[in-house]
Amino acid sequence: MTDENKKPNKTGLPRKGFMAVAGSATGALIMLQASKPTKASRNPSGAEPGAHKWGMVIDINLCIGCNYCTYACQAVNDLPVEMKYNKVTLEETKTGAEFYLSRPCMQCEHPPCVHVCPVGATYVRDDGIVTMDYDLCIGCRYCIVACPYDARVFNWKKHVEPNAFTPEYGHPEVERRPRGVMEKCNFCEHRIDSGLARGLVPGIDAAATPACVDVCPTGARVFGDLNDSESPISKILASTKTPIRLREDLSTEPKVYYIPPKAEVTTSSEEEL
Amino acid sequence: MDNTIRIPKIRLGSREFDVFYIWFAVLSLGFAFGVVGAYQVLRYGLQVTGLTDQVPWGLWISIDLSSIALGGSAFVFGVIVYLLRLKRFEVVGRLAVLLGFLGYSTASLVLLFDLGQPLRFWHPAVFWQSHSLLWEITMCVILYLGILVAELLPIILEHPVFSEHTLIKKNNFFKKISEFLKKLSHFLHKAGPALAVIGLSLSLLHQASLGATYGVLSGRGLWFSPTAPILFVTSAMGGGTALLFLLSVFVFRVMRPGLVADKTLYDVARISGAMMLLCTYIRLWDWAVTNYYSFDNIVATQKELLNTIAPYSLAFWVGQILFSLIPGALLLSSKRVRNFKILTLAAVGPVICAIILRWTYNFSGLIASITYDPFTPSVQLNSYLPTWPEWAVGIGVISYWLLGFSLAARFLPFHSKEENH
Repeated sequence: MTDENKKPNKTGLPRKGFMAVAGSATGALIMLQASKPTKASRNPSGAEPGAHKWGMVIDINLCIGCNYCTYACQAVNDLPVEMKYNKVTLEETKTGAEFYLSRPCMQCEHPPCVHVCPVGATYVRDDGIVTMDYDLCIGCRYCIVACPYDARVFNWKKHVEPNAFTPEYGHPEVERRPRGVMEKCNFCEHRIDSGLARGLVPGIDAAATPACVDVCPTGARVFGDLNDSESPISKILASTKTPIRLREDLSTEPKVYYIPPKAEVTTSSEEEL
Repeated sequence: MDNTIRIPKIRLGSREFDVFYIWFAVLSLGFAFGVVGAYQVLRYGLQVTGLTDQVPWGLWISIDLSSIALGGSAFVFGVIVYLLRLKRFEVVGRLAVLLGFLGYSTASLVLLFDLGQPLRFWHPAVFWQSHSLLWEITMCVILYLGILVAELLPIILEHPVFSEHTLIKKNNFFKKISEFLKKLSHFLHKAGPALAVIGLSLSLLHQASLGATYGVLSGRGLWFSPTAPILFVTSAMGGGTALLFLLSVFVFRVMRPGLVADKTLYDVARISGAMMLLCTYIRLWDWAVTNYYSFDNIVATQKELLNTIAPYSLAFWVGQILFSLIPGALLLSSKRVRNFKILTLAAVGPVICAIILRWTYNFSGLIASITYDPFTPSVQLNSYLPTWPEWAVGIGVISYWLLGFSLAARFLPFHSKEENH
């Protein structure tokens, strides 16, 4: 019973000191959260926040399924053969007409991958591009599970082979990523950022435009600023009656639009009648 | 009170073997196998696993979810012992704390290998992304593991080696350490109620969030459901307590007869039975809603595919209903059954049920995923088979769990010296 009669503060432990250390550590951590140096990386081109909103239109009627977009992307982003940011698949309309669906990252307005990332390694830039901080990524792969578009790829192993798509489809323009981090299409953000710094217009000047858009032999892909009503992409979207986006039911608000196959447009307008 | 520990022995002819050493050798082999697998994973990366971009979470995540669930008795009994102040559960509560610690440390260990960048395991603690359920779970698990250590430490420190060893009497340095440990232990013991409250909040938060991890993913129709969090919490409470009952019978009735009254053990069984029946009740409604009221064609196709190509319907009916309904009823009426053989056998059911629930939950949404094409979306079937390094690491961490438990069963002082305060 002797222990019971002692007052708790006589247990001999420097409780006040402990509380002070624990308190200041927590405080420091919270301060660190508030002062996270993400501002610069969210807006690397230094443009007015929200000045640009990069988007893409893919005309399904023009796509011939040549896969050049995939290869150019793999060349420029220095990807191994089995890792593809961009995928081209053969799909069907409701009437059974076949078409090629070419799919980059949708660059969602509300990206499920960004919401689930436990460390904020993937984030939305001020210009709407969903990108990665490879130094933060822990490789938990929750983002692949969350992405409804299958757009994310993981570095299961270290990439040591020479680039299989160089020089035919372009040259590597970015550093290789380490093993164990996630990566994804970022609309070739390095081209956009350096292009804007040199006074080029992404979507018009090839050097500031994503590689997949530049390489497309039929011009099925159009890239540009959705905020600029005079940009080619805005004009195309304005003149298209029924542009569609993938999995719109999920409210992810993709910034990649598709011009649907003509067969599908006729059948759906007949249904409406 | 009788404090002797009876070690189970095997009789071979006229010779008797201490099971403990044989068991210990087997587990050490399992652990060594795990070390070999772990080396493969750390050296060559996750390419040695059977995981792909389509099925990125596999065996390890299932082990992780299951071991956290089976540590669920720690917070239940933290509340019973420290907040409801039911003294007769104190000894069982100590075992619960141990199971909690083992469950959470196993989970942390296996997750370390599952990360693409294991050395960045500390990132969530520093780079906060508070919208992420996984961030919340990581923080809760880190903090709760700390709480479990604080709850387990005084129990370990009660071992006579820390107070009555001859070195302590001879050497002044060891004497000072011993005195410090005694004070620390006393302080932590006093903090018990506070730790129990924090532990309860943290546990309810992350046990639910583990379900919500899957439940919030709108892109995966089969997972997108608000029942997942409550299913995960109730099955963790039921399954975790069932495991506690199972092991209590072994540790207290077989090895330390007389330390815990049978009545108390019956009550542990009843708690587990009640939670398991509650979980099954919610699970049945969830099943009914998904099947009858689902207007989503894709979800229906996904379920149908899973039921035809994989034994998911079997896993549901046998794993989640049979293994929880009948054992749950038996455990709940333990005071009438009054047969420890039947009750321990029944307690296996909820444990398996909690594991199967997590296993099927993890794989269902990954194996059958929905394609993104705009006009004729369909269900795509993916496959996954764990490779040997995955099994090795899995066996290794399970061996770690069993090693921890076995050592504790033999050496941990479950009977408090400070009983009379």
